[in-house]
Amino acid sequence: MDDIAIETRNLKKQYSQGVLALKDLSIKIKRGQCVGYLGPNGSGKTTTIKILTNLLKPTSGQAFINDIDVNQFPKEALRGVGSLVEVPGIYEFLTSHEMLAYFGKIRKMSSADIDRRIKEVLTLVKLSEWEHKKIGSFSTGMLRRLAIAQALLHDPEILIMDEPVIGLDPKGMKDVRDIIKKMLQEKKTIFLSSHLLNEVAETCNDVILLDKGVVVSSDSVAHLTGSTLGSKIDVTFLRPLTEEQCKTLSNLDMVEDVEPLGDQIRIIYDGKPETSSKILSKIVGLGVDVVSFTPQKVSLEDVYVSVMGDERGVR
Amino acid sequence: MLSLGEDIKEDIVHTLINVRYELRKHFRRKRILIAVVLALIIPILFYIIPKVRNVSFASTSVAFMANSLGFINILIIISAAMFAGDAVSGEFETRTALLSLSTPQRRSSIFIGKYIASLLAVFAIIAFYFAICGVEVLGVYGLGGMPEATGKSFLLCLLYGTAAVSMTFFYSSVLKGVMSSTLLSFFTFLMILPIVSALLQVANVEPWFIVTYSAGLMTNVFVQEPAFSGGGGHNMGPSAFTQSTPNFTVGVEVMAAYAIIMFIIAMAIAVRKDVE
Repeated sequence: MDDIAIETRNLKKQYSQGVLALKDLSIKIKRGQCVGYLGPNGSGKTTTIKILTNLLKPTSGQAFINDIDVNQFPKEALRGVGSLVEVPGIYEFLTSHEMLAYFGKIRKMSSADIDRRIKEVLTLVKLSEWEHKKIGSFSTGMLRRLAIAQALLHDPEILIMDEPVIGLDPKGMKDVRDIIKKMLQEKKTIFLSSHLLNEVAETCNDVILLDKGVVVSSDSVAHLTGSTLGSKIDVTFLRPLTEEQCKTLSNLDMVEDVEPLGDQIRIIYDGKPETSSKILSKIVGLGVDVVSFTPQKVSLEDVYVSVMGDERGVR
Repeated sequence: MLSLGEDIKEDIVHTLINVRYELRKHFRRKRILIAVVLALIIPILFYIIPKVRNVSFASTSVAFMANSLGFINILIIISAAMFAGDAVSGEFETRTALLSLSTPQRRSSIFIGKYIASLLAVFAIIAFYFAICGVEVLGVYGLGGMPEATGKSFLLCLLYGTAAVSMTFFYSSVLKGVMSSTLLSFFTFLMILPIVSALLQVANVEPWFIVTYSAGLMTNVFVQEPAFSGGGGHNMGPSAFTQSTPNFTVGVEVMAAYAIIMFIIAMAIAVRKDVE
């Protein structure tokens, strides 16, 4: 089987109101990867996911899952896909069991498998006590958990999720994170759109940054946070450094910038461990009393702000 | 990829699953119960009121049946609006389409499943109404009292019900809101088409192409009425609208045409609808 699980080729989507949501979007997601899909509101994340799940037709271009054109052969393409798009409505006249059984039957699961998997996924999303309760009585968070259970029911090879933790409490968010990590261990492919950068940083291998329907950056989380911006070291002293001492540090070749913050300074450098070690030696050589020396990793949020600019939405 | 045969078989299975769940929806929402109560009360009143008022029943079973079925038209329209009004628009309004349409099944399987379920529900109500009327006829006029045209009328009611469901599905596919599609369907059959039909008759034009005009066959089969005599001229009162009757064959063809054409258009729109 091809190494690529999800692919879009020159995808363009123009809505009837004239809004151009996607402009020649081409992305590839390898099998077994967890890819975070980031971008501000209106950047085209949900549009991409809706095209990949056959909820929208592209104006031009193609979307493939397992090398099958989703819009031409949706039945075949979506067979091994579990998806959760936006905040779906759920059939309130059914019980959790009945609702999940519907999706199991559509996916040709046997009755025994349906019963077994319903129990498993409801346990996973902490809804096992609600299996035979009418969905109409569920809270927003419970509906979200049930929608996630629906996406996981058939143990999909590919999971496509759009803002999966919306409406969940912190515990629910952690549960979803754990589910994603578990699926990743099982070599499942996960395509995850989110506003929560820390969630993505913690769960995904790769990140695609989208803005105005165009990919502005695509790389591994490790590479993006390690190379896009210089790393930082926060150094705390017993007494604030003098202006002259600060200047001495700023003039070092390996230091890109020094920001004094009271009895603390922030040193921007290239992030290499050997540079960090040299900087520490220089500081000790100044004869100042160091209280702490803490190299900081650049966060995905820093990368996002640097790529998108401050004004774009980050949570 | 599945072979063509397996593919079709899978589509049929998906359609049947959708029929079952859609029928469950109608039952759970008590819509069928409301329609059943209406189907029970109307014919029973036609039986009880003469008894209570000590008035004799119609002289013939044919007249009794024709009177009792006078309201089946409204019952069919109410049933079609209730069971089909939200079939497509409801999925989009409540955002359940985000779940159902992203599954590995053809949209046509979902649409046809919903359509069949709505038809079955409307047919069940019509059958129940006829059953009640039939029991009353047997009770009043005896075993041999059942009018010969009852079967024909029943089949015409099913055909009209199909046309009404198709039309309602069309509105449900075109419009975004459940309320608008349900109300528009209701008003189309109860007001708009009857008014157009009446105006055409006033202008001495037979409205043979209006489905509500053809629906007159459902009760007209019990009595031999003259063919269209026009509604214009000196006779301008309400009775003018009831004098004309549609030709049986043309009426059947018109109802069938509405049922088929509206179904095809509704499905073509529904399967192409984006979930924005």
